[in-house]
Amino acid sequence: MASASRSASVAYGFLGVALFIGGWQLIGAYQLAGLTWPPFTTVISYLIEPSRWGLFSRALEATLWAMGFGYAVGGACGFTIAVAASMFDRLRPMLDTTSAVVHAIPAIAIAPLFIILLGTSTAPSALSALNVFFIMYVSTSAGLAAATPAHRDVFRVLGASKTQQLYRLQLPNALPSIITGLRLAAPASVIGAIIGEWFGAPRGLGLLIVSAMQNFQIPLLWSTIVLATAISAIAYGLFGLIERLIHARFQ
Amino acid sequence: MQRAGTSIRLNHVSKSFSIGRKTVAAVDAVDLTIEAGEFVSFIGPSGCGKSTILRMVAALEAPTAGQVTIGDLPPSEMAQHHRLGVAFQDHALLPWLTVRKNVELPFRIASRPVNDQQIDQLLNLVGLSEFDRARPKQLSGGMRQRASIARALILQPDVLLLDEPFGALDQVTRRHLNIELQNIWARNAITTILITHSVDEALFLSDRVVVLSGRPGRVVKVLPVPFGRPRSPSVMRDPLFHQLADDLTESLEGYVGSEEP
Repeated sequence: MASASRSASVAYGFLGVALFIGGWQLIGAYQLAGLTWPPFTTVISYLIEPSRWGLFSRALEATLWAMGFGYAVGGACGFTIAVAASMFDRLRPMLDTTSAVVHAIPAIAIAPLFIILLGTSTAPSALSALNVFFIMYVSTSAGLAAATPAHRDVFRVLGASKTQQLYRLQLPNALPSIITGLRLAAPASVIGAIIGEWFGAPRGLGLLIVSAMQNFQIPLLWSTIVLATAISAIAYGLFGLIERLIHARFQ
Repeated sequence: MQRAGTSIRLNHVSKSFSIGRKTVAAVDAVDLTIEAGEFVSFIGPSGCGKSTILRMVAALEAPTAGQVTIGDLPPSEMAQHHRLGVAFQDHALLPWLTVRKNVELPFRIASRPVNDQQIDQLLNLVGLSEFDRARPKQLSGGMRQRASIARALILQPDVLLLDEPFGALDQVTRRHLNIELQNIWARNAITTILITHSVDEALFLSDRVVVLSGRPGRVVKVLPVPFGRPRSPSVMRDPLFHQLADDLTESLEGYVGSEEP
């Protein structure tokens, strides 16, 4: 029963993607949206043309590095600060407010500032880290706070220290929430990196998008967007798989 | 029978909570000494502060007035020394650990080496030997409570605190677990407080039954249970048992109408 509904939902998922691509192809082929909307097949053949692999792989490499670095740094900071906030009650309001304020700054608005402060090659990682930070802070905090009162009571009566409560109760209990955070943070890190590159990074998908747009290279623009979407979706899907394994055990 | 554990002294203990601007008295001037190795049940109408009394003995709440001492120590110190065992209506087992790992938990918290033999014995005693690798969600409600009681007992605590551990179970399972708990307890009489709604459960398990009034909880009656130990389930068919159960029910009923709106 469960596997039947599961395969049905997978089938519907594929159907949705197929309809999307079909619609894209039709609009492009009949030029319903004008010349700036190429058909799906044109974009894909542009993307897989071997002479352009060098261009795309250099851009992809730069973006993946920026994203990976930002993801690791932002994730680690978000996690660590959330743990600190849960361990030291007095710090909590301050850390909550600071994180919310940091999150309220639009990435687009702070990007030029980062470029001046950190230089064009570090700005993509920094923006990516900023995006990931808040998601990880919130998901870790929520997970750590989710231990039930009965569990806390048992730990207190058994004489557990705060640290023991953290690693024997709160952290394992927070794991599903943390993994969900990691999944949601993956596309956010891609967005951060691309916005960072947009403002003049030496290479990367963001740079490719901007220059394709300015030079009216329509298939290049669309190909780059497809690439960016693909890495975002792959990262999201990968963590979705891990998440399913973790949820099965920890809930 | 071997008497173990430590006495518990409730010295004029009161507890009130502030809810908004109002102060609500939950427990009022309870004076009681529970002897070492004695099993005492608290019964009373819901909201009478039964659980509050247990929570003060467990160092989960501090009394507003008066003192709780276990042996010569305040409850918080007993907890720090890992000398309390507790089981709630919510089994509060960790869902990501197996039954065995859950029962091991108090060893880990106390930073003591895990005594596998002792765990085997206790799992056997509570009838979970074959389920030691199962996770809590794979067990029935009764089995989860058994695991929870095994966890409470594994460090051989000085005091065992039971807050309606069988409250969510069906009558048949509950009766079954009462008989099992009686057997387990009879092996090594640990000073025990049981909070319950069930007059039969209180009578069958306890040396004394304390009846509390409606809010705020005051002691209105302390009934010594005259049956010897170990008790067989046939005690529950004794006419005296029924007589005492009726008496207790009657003393409870006096307060049913007095609950605040």
